[in-house]
Amino acid sequence: MNMTEIKSDRAGDSYYKIRHSSGLTVYVYPKKGYRSAYAIIGTNYGSVNNCFSLDDGEKITVPDGIAHYLEHKLFESAEGDAFTRYAETGASANAYTSFEKTCYLFSCTDRFEESLEILLDFVGDPYFTPETVAKEQGIIGQEIKMYDDSPDWRVMFNMLEKMYHNHPVKIDIAGTVESIAQITAEKLYDCYNTFYNLNNMALCVAGNVTAEQVLAICDKMLKPCEKHEIHSYFEEEPYEIVEPYVEQTFPVMMPMFNLGFKEKAEHLDEKKLAQTDILLSMLASPTSRLYRDLMDANLINSSFGYELFEGPGYRAVIFGGESRAPRQAAEMIKQYIAKVKAEQPDREDFEISKKAIYGDSISALNSVSSIANIVLSHHFSGHEPFTYLEAVAATTYEDICVRLSEMLDVTNCTLSVIKSAEAEV
Amino acid sequence: MSTIKRTQIADGVFFNSVKDSRFKTMKLSANLYVPLSAETASENALLAGVLSRSCKAYPDFTALSRKLCALYGADLNVLAHKAGDNQVITLSASGLDDRYAMEGESIARELSLLLCGVIFEPNLSGRAFVAGEVEQERRQLLDVIDSEYNDKRIYANGRMTEIMCADEVYGVKRYGTAEAIKAATPESLYAAWERLLRTSYVEIMYIGDSAPDKAAEVFTDAFRSIGRAPVKQSTQIIRGVKEVKRETEEIEVSQSKLVMGFRAGTAVPEKEARAASLMCSILGGTATSKLFCNVREKQSLCYYCAARYDKYKGIVVIDSGVEGENVEKLEKGIMKEIEDMKNGVISDFEIESTKMAVINAYQGSNDTVGGIEAWYASQLLEDGFKTIEEAAALLNAITKEEIVAAAQRLQLDTVYVLKNK
Repeated sequence: MNMTEIKSDRAGDSYYKIRHSSGLTVYVYPKKGYRSAYAIIGTNYGSVNNCFSLDDGEKITVPDGIAHYLEHKLFESAEGDAFTRYAETGASANAYTSFEKTCYLFSCTDRFEESLEILLDFVGDPYFTPETVAKEQGIIGQEIKMYDDSPDWRVMFNMLEKMYHNHPVKIDIAGTVESIAQITAEKLYDCYNTFYNLNNMALCVAGNVTAEQVLAICDKMLKPCEKHEIHSYFEEEPYEIVEPYVEQTFPVMMPMFNLGFKEKAEHLDEKKLAQTDILLSMLASPTSRLYRDLMDANLINSSFGYELFEGPGYRAVIFGGESRAPRQAAEMIKQYIAKVKAEQPDREDFEISKKAIYGDSISALNSVSSIANIVLSHHFSGHEPFTYLEAVAATTYEDICVRLSEMLDVTNCTLSVIKSAEAEV
Repeated sequence: MSTIKRTQIADGVFFNSVKDSRFKTMKLSANLYVPLSAETASENALLAGVLSRSCKAYPDFTALSRKLCALYGADLNVLAHKAGDNQVITLSASGLDDRYAMEGESIARELSLLLCGVIFEPNLSGRAFVAGEVEQERRQLLDVIDSEYNDKRIYANGRMTEIMCADEVYGVKRYGTAEAIKAATPESLYAAWERLLRTSYVEIMYIGDSAPDKAAEVFTDAFRSIGRAPVKQSTQIIRGVKEVKRETEEIEVSQSKLVMGFRAGTAVPEKEARAASLMCSILGGTATSKLFCNVREKQSLCYYCAARYDKYKGIVVIDSGVEGENVEKLEKGIMKEIEDMKNGVISDFEIESTKMAVINAYQGSNDTVGGIEAWYASQLLEDGFKTIEEAAALLNAITKEEIVAAAQRLQLDTVYVLKNK
């Protein structure tokens, strides 16, 4: 087993990375003076992994939404469900599926070891039968319908559908009522046996814990896991978007929009990531000229925001929020970006945004849940949080200028609008 | 747990501070309590927005935002909310602790001054606020009201409360009404500002590592020149239901919503409120609650079905999203679980595991700045602060009989259904 300590003087913290003999990567981030602990285990498997093969086996295509369905079903075992087991330790448990990963977590203030045993046990012990699979159709069906009624969710997926030709990121994480009807116990096992291999997973624990405590439970609960070659297939995705505009009418009183810039999807290291975060803050945070212009023209309100949206094989920058005139808002954003690209960004904007991103990165290391989630996300995206923090501090104005020239192609973006039946936008 | 220090700094103004070195951030907030009323709610909410967007030292939104950004991305937030029949205007500032500044700046001190600045030295034009600032904030507040309709779960819950409490002060929304927001003027907001500083009951909360003395001093000085006349607070608790109110609304949605409002017959600071809160958690507050296990897991009717107890107003709200054709079945399923509780069908495991889950949440709250603030702020309308240990001991002492009695006090008042067309 090899254990590395990762330290940051800037953050005043350190944590451990361990390659456990079972194949699992384990992170332990002790927090002095804290009563609680938060543990999260994730597999590098999300909704986009819908076509795959294991070693030299055949290529398998599975129904949309199966990763999320699996997450729901993994809580059940022959003896009952994991929530009931956690009820005996007092831990608060949950799980989520995103485009690129599936995670199971709990937080507790007492009986940490027992709760960690429950977590490692149920995640390692699938139990799918035709009856238990059928029972979940109604529950997940209602989850899907809840999202169908969410304009925030729809405005994003409508945009992704018109941005990506082939990439499965355009498909709803939970699938559709029709696609989940095709899910069977056998298909769930196919996915589980491929992706829930400890070599494809990571555990992260933060708070009132020591590395020894966590490793002792791992030793007890985990058996060495043979490493396999997992291959996920993604069709070739062109650089260009599909369509520049899409709209949908909805029972809303506030129209809303997402304006997404499709970006090249190659991997960004911590330096490039830091530059991107600072740059986006300079361009569109409430301190920016753009934000001010949009507000003064009554084109946005305080719901306006932006996001660097990325994962395996996709990356986009999305600006969005509520607007009574989404087309005008989008036009102003595009014109502003084109202008900054032509004239170079403002130096003072750079200085203050760098401080803000630096402050945000340190503040995020405040709570055990936030820490564990950050370390885990960085693990799956091939980053390390303290390296990122150093990269923020080291970013120069010149770096930002170069980065800007590489991204935000104003001829390659999609505007998605949700409006009421009556409204003209 | 962290201990709190409480000092009265003016008539009806209290400064509460928790010194804690574990965190990388600090937070200072001013909570201004005034009686909720249809006449003043909109002006107060609009005023809060106007105060938070600029001040004398940073006279426009961009200048203020840039100052916050330069303070390592500090936040200045404003919130208008309800606690029983009170409207609470919360203005807060949070940011990085001084230890982490790259150039040795004192962020905490600057943020304290900034928060005091926005409250006491706003951006004025004579005895009125600046018209352009008011117009911007008015537009945005009207947007917020419209956007509540976008989220059907929020909308359905809001409609249920409106119908249930139509004849009570509590029926007034936290932002008041669009009409009153439109009618407010820069002059009327100035009067509202003076009234708020004079009549509100004020609780200031500070959580951080550096000494809060500077902030306490600035607030003390500022309140010295104000002729204080704090208004007493009270909340009307309805304990009986004559007739169940029912309303169904049809909208083009995929999922129907069912929201049920109950009178719980007790509210803080009555001691029965503790059993009511635990009863509500057993019913629908956890992933092993009766509603989760039976209505969701066994009957597969819904994805969420949750029960919440409003301890200030003494009402319980249960809400769920469901297939249109299953609304009645869901309502029956929910009522069955409540009947069971009234009849004492509650296992020791349900009681003990829920107590453990609640205590776990209590203890976990002490590990975040927001959690510590919420722990104390949520007790501001009660009879003094309790520590987590004291609250846990009181919770553990609740008996099954008290839980059953709390369930028996539940009376269905209003059923609101948002149905798919």
